[in-house]
Amino acid sequence: MNPSSSNRPSGRTVVLAFVVAIAAALALVAVALIARSDSSTPPTENPVVDLGGIPQDGRVLGSPDAAVTLIEWADPQCPACRTYTEEFFPTVVDEYVRPGTVSTEFRGFPFIGDDSVKAYRFLLAAAEQDSLWDLAEAMYRNQGGENDGWVTDDLIRELATQIDGLDVDQLFADAEREDIVTEAEAAEAAGQAAGIPGTPTLLIEVGDDEPYVIQVATADQMRAALDDALDG
Amino acid sequence: MSDRTLRIAAAVVALAGLAVAGYLTWVHFDDTALVCIAGGGCETVQESAYAEIAGVPVAVLGLGAYAIVLGLVALDSPNARLGAAMIALVGLLFSMYLLALQLFVIDAVCVWCLANDVLIAPLLAVLTALRLRS
Repeated sequence: MNPSSSNRPSGRTVVLAFVVAIAAALALVAVALIARSDSSTPPTENPVVDLGGIPQDGRVLGSPDAAVTLIEWADPQCPACRTYTEEFFPTVVDEYVRPGTVSTEFRGFPFIGDDSVKAYRFLLAAAEQDSLWDLAEAMYRNQGGENDGWVTDDLIRELATQIDGLDVDQLFADAEREDIVTEAEAAEAAGQAAGIPGTPTLLIEVGDDEPYVIQVATADQMRAALDDALDG
Repeated sequence: MSDRTLRIAAAVVALAGLAVAGYLTWVHFDDTALVCIAGGGCETVQESAYAEIAGVPVAVLGLGAYAIVLGLVALDSPNARLGAAMIALVGLLFSMYLLALQLFVIDAVCVWCLANDVLIAPLLAVLTALRLRS
């Protein structure tokens, strides 16, 4: 069909349509910018899992006698890591770590931006007081938008104050320690050197065997992977 | 180039755009893509705070826009041609904003989002050519 020229929109209509299209695009961008701050996942008020009474040693949560270690490479700014923490981590802790069969180790891969490195500095500092996992859990529940400056001293202090036994002033002092700053800043390169493609990357280590990567999308798949390792 | 060829070209490009937007919609809602890729990737972009506008995934907006353009190309009246070209213009301008976000804010580039940017420009060109002929 070739539309007849009698139905052709007038020049005025075309100009009007053009103006409306430009205005619509600008409005879309404006709404996107305004609504963006509301679109990041709001903080989760209460801890998603109780870590009380579970042994922690540096980056490791769980019994030193656990047969299997679940290694998590993570970025504190990564939304997928937050999803892992809120939806899968409680299963890992309640069904495997607390009973003592599995321990879990945190390895930072702060690649998203400066907030990632800053957050990781505080996690390493918390590890000095064997509270890394408590602070990590609290950070993920209060995660803001990527690289929008949400990792403030005030937020860290607020979260750290709620962690039993954590010396907050010592935490802030340790976060500025040269060795911790150096380690946090080198962590992205370390992750790349280890071949880590993204976060969270989960590996299972059984005894002294070479760790292997697992991919899970549900809590049941996580259970199956850990059960296989324990049965292996 | 004949009118019919231009309409077929517009439909093909719009279908390709529909497929890309469909894939991005699937990635947005699919939990199996639970990872932020180092060095950039669709999952990083799709998990970012910019992936939704007031709760509506950007990928769904693209899906809807391509579907409407396809419908208007099929309708093929002068007003439909004008409408399709204007939707493509809005899409192109918004894609430029999204591309700037990926490059300068999220610091990750989604290949499939780039594919969408590559498709929207020729779609606008073809639809504009169609509009000028009507």
